[in-house]
Amino acid sequence: MLPRRCGKIFISLFAAFCLLPNVQAGVIQRTTLANGIHLVVEEDHSAPDAIVQVWHQVGGRDEIPGKTGLAHVLEHMSFKGSKKIKPGEYSHRIAAMGGSDNAFTATDYTAYFEIIPAKHVDEAMAMEADRFTHLRLAKKDYVKEIRVIMEERRMRTDDDPNSRMFEELSAVALRLSPYRNPVIGWMQDLKRLKIKDVRAFYKRYYVPGNATIVVVGDVNFAHIKKVAKRTFGRLKKRPVPPRFNPIEPEPIGPKRMVAYLPAQLPMVAVVMPVPVWHPGKNDRQAAALDMATEILAGGRSALLSRQLVDKQRKAFSVSASYDPFSMGVDLWSVWADLGAGQTPDAFTAALWKSLNALRDHGPSTAQLARAKRGIIADEVFAQDSLYLRARQIGSMESVGIDARRRGDWLKAIRMVTPKDIQQVMRRWINPRRATTGTLIPTKNTGGKS
Amino acid sequence: MNAVRYIFSTTEAQERKQRMDNKAPFLCGSVIKKLFTLLALLTIATPAWAVAEIQSWQMNNGLRVLLMEAHQVPMVVMRLTLPAGSSMDAPGKGGTATMLAAMLGDHTKIHHHAAWADYLDAQAIRLGSGASRDSMSIGLTVLKEALPQGVGALSEALLQPGWSRKRFKKMRSDAISANKKSLEQPQVQAAIAIGKLLYGDHPYGHRSGGDAASLAAITMRDMKQLYRDQVTPDAAVLAVSGDVTMAELHKLLAPLAAWHGTAKHHLSDISATANPAPIKQHITMATQQATVALVRIGLDRQAPDLFPTLLMNHILGGGGFSSKLMMQVREKRGLVYGVYSYFEPLSRPGPFVISLQTRADQTQQALKVVRQVMARMAAGKINHKAIHAAKANLTGSFTHRLDSNGKRVGLMSMIGYYHLPLDYLQNWRARIEAITLAQVQVSAARYLKASDWSEVIVGPKSVPHQRHISK
Repeated sequence: MLPRRCGKIFISLFAAFCLLPNVQAGVIQRTTLANGIHLVVEEDHSAPDAIVQVWHQVGGRDEIPGKTGLAHVLEHMSFKGSKKIKPGEYSHRIAAMGGSDNAFTATDYTAYFEIIPAKHVDEAMAMEADRFTHLRLAKKDYVKEIRVIMEERRMRTDDDPNSRMFEELSAVALRLSPYRNPVIGWMQDLKRLKIKDVRAFYKRYYVPGNATIVVVGDVNFAHIKKVAKRTFGRLKKRPVPPRFNPIEPEPIGPKRMVAYLPAQLPMVAVVMPVPVWHPGKNDRQAAALDMATEILAGGRSALLSRQLVDKQRKAFSVSASYDPFSMGVDLWSVWADLGAGQTPDAFTAALWKSLNALRDHGPSTAQLARAKRGIIADEVFAQDSLYLRARQIGSMESVGIDARRRGDWLKAIRMVTPKDIQQVMRRWINPRRATTGTLIPTKNTGGKS
Repeated sequence: MNAVRYIFSTTEAQERKQRMDNKAPFLCGSVIKKLFTLLALLTIATPAWAVAEIQSWQMNNGLRVLLMEAHQVPMVVMRLTLPAGSSMDAPGKGGTATMLAAMLGDHTKIHHHAAWADYLDAQAIRLGSGASRDSMSIGLTVLKEALPQGVGALSEALLQPGWSRKRFKKMRSDAISANKKSLEQPQVQAAIAIGKLLYGDHPYGHRSGGDAASLAAITMRDMKQLYRDQVTPDAAVLAVSGDVTMAELHKLLAPLAAWHGTAKHHLSDISATANPAPIKQHITMATQQATVALVRIGLDRQAPDLFPTLLMNHILGGGGFSSKLMMQVREKRGLVYGVYSYFEPLSRPGPFVISLQTRADQTQQALKVVRQVMARMAAGKINHKAIHAAKANLTGSFTHRLDSNGKRVGLMSMIGYYHLPLDYLQNWRARIEAITLAQVQVSAARYLKASDWSEVIVGPKSVPHQRHISK
């Protein structure tokens, strides 16, 4: 499994562009077909492979209460046959090309992809175009697949106390944002969904004007444009439904939740809503939040690990995350695993002391420089992966950022000052805005019988 | 379980966990993860397009250096593989190799822990280390512009250990906590049971990261001894891929010329173990699903039937959605999200595992289907079409399996460490293409006989067998 929205990965293309001109990263080429479908291509001729991705701007956030999990169910059903392809045949055909295929669903988008020898790109695009509008969505396939999805939920969430706690914590922390619901759906909803729900969702959201085709690899833009026209270009233009994006209300005080679950050790998570990046509008603020998170939890010299794990021994691991590249809001998070004798209250008190110290004194010049260097280096390292490069382009486009603006983010990162970091810490990272969740083990798991 | 192709969604919690894993400074992932890493090394096919040549150089101290040049991204990845895996842990001291790897990466004689972290981060030098059954590894990912500093850091970590008692105590204590935490994962519980069941007290029997008791028993002396005995250049391999030439490496690696010594123990000292008489084991966990594993001892790295077995396993459960297990257990019956099989070809025969997760009351039903698939294949019911499809996928995906510095370094480490020929990659596709149906049938008959497999189930204690609910 891969991270859904990881800023550190996402921005990896920028450095190649703006800081290290000797990287032979392809130029992003972009066009929109008459029916509204977007095509983004990055040529890279270093190996005879390519990745084709189809991104739909629909995800968990677009589901209505009582029908959570629908976008992901549709994703699964997309492998159950279309007009020209029998159920299950899709993956077999890709495998026969020497390729592999898969898909993922997130709150903001649903994406399908295949990594294949470049000579098969035309055929893969034709196959993707076929399932774009001609899915079978048969009831007999649905009744089996929904059971597979329930197994997926049991594996990922229900049987993992940490996942289960985070799922609940998101629902407690957020009031209106659809991020409060799990992408995989609540089990009670999965049990009640019907194939007709899937059909309606498919018809409404899988429309050309709502999708982006991304191709990265050993391909030629002019040729791909031609192929796109005779495959995706034939899809009928249809109205694009508006996206559900309510404004999250400002928290009016701290919240707490406790999850009693079978587990070995306690876990604590502190989360709060923070703004995401709106290019040209809040570059400085979003970049400062990202830099603050990097200073707190990035690399070996991460401030929180040093203070809370190595010095004060309040936890045995601590992490933080911020994703500037989503729609509407991000749930900024710190979480920690506690060992024997380490208590949630002591950890939380020490955490706020550390966070407030960064707010009051700002980072040192060396801390700031390390964080910038780390973010830039990660961007170069990610150039090494075809998959990540395509994913960066697709996820940007799907949350409404033109992938050609990718250089602007790094510019903003380079501009961040210690004062900017103090300002965002003061405004957003505040105990009164936070929801604190604690996982308390009910009994030890494991043991022979 | 990243190695198997599943359709997945990402939930917030999963993603956070994933990020958490990514942030772990050392490569002490779960046993399962390591198995998959090795599996990934194995499932590689040969090229249609010319594979970059592996350049080789042996230093005077015996260290073998293997290089594949790749100049399109200004970065270099390298990995040093040492004969200091967890199979070298002393009895009752499981986790020594993993702890030593962590200690070497944590601080040096010159830089204490915090100073070392600041120094490495200031230049974005990514240094990682870890241990698996057969080997210890120290990895480096670095920008081309910081390559001399990166190589300097790798050799400082390797040759000038700091042996801070204070750090050791903290790291051991944190490792014990992390070890306990990992027991929340049914897959980890299963992997521990599989190791014990197949290998008992054999050096492959314990978890590479150890357990709470064995970690607590490790002393600084144990680590120093492992370092002295096994962290030596004679059996070590340094695999390098990226924006660098062999001529540059000759200069850059000069500090490693001061590294001397001969390993006291060799992988060849480890005895091979016979497959144990099959048993059934149940481990109780308060979960909704049962994690089910069928296991036996499989093949070693030099096994003559390695290639036919690779193809056989690809058809069985190694080939993702195209595999028979996935077709029968998931696609046709909706019993699981994931089902797969793999074998781990180590210096000595490693585990062969078939694994799935299903709602606890469906356990027997799923097992029955798996055993049917095994029985059919063992009876020779494999057709040319399946052989052809598996070959097409393996050979066709070759270039993709070689398309990053990290992947190339993984392959070269395997080739060098297990003394495979340097033209291994060039000949790969031909070797896959040459496999016959009869060879695959022989492999299936040899390895898939139901009576050779043990069964490990992790899940709720006793679940009444419910009827299959469908339609």
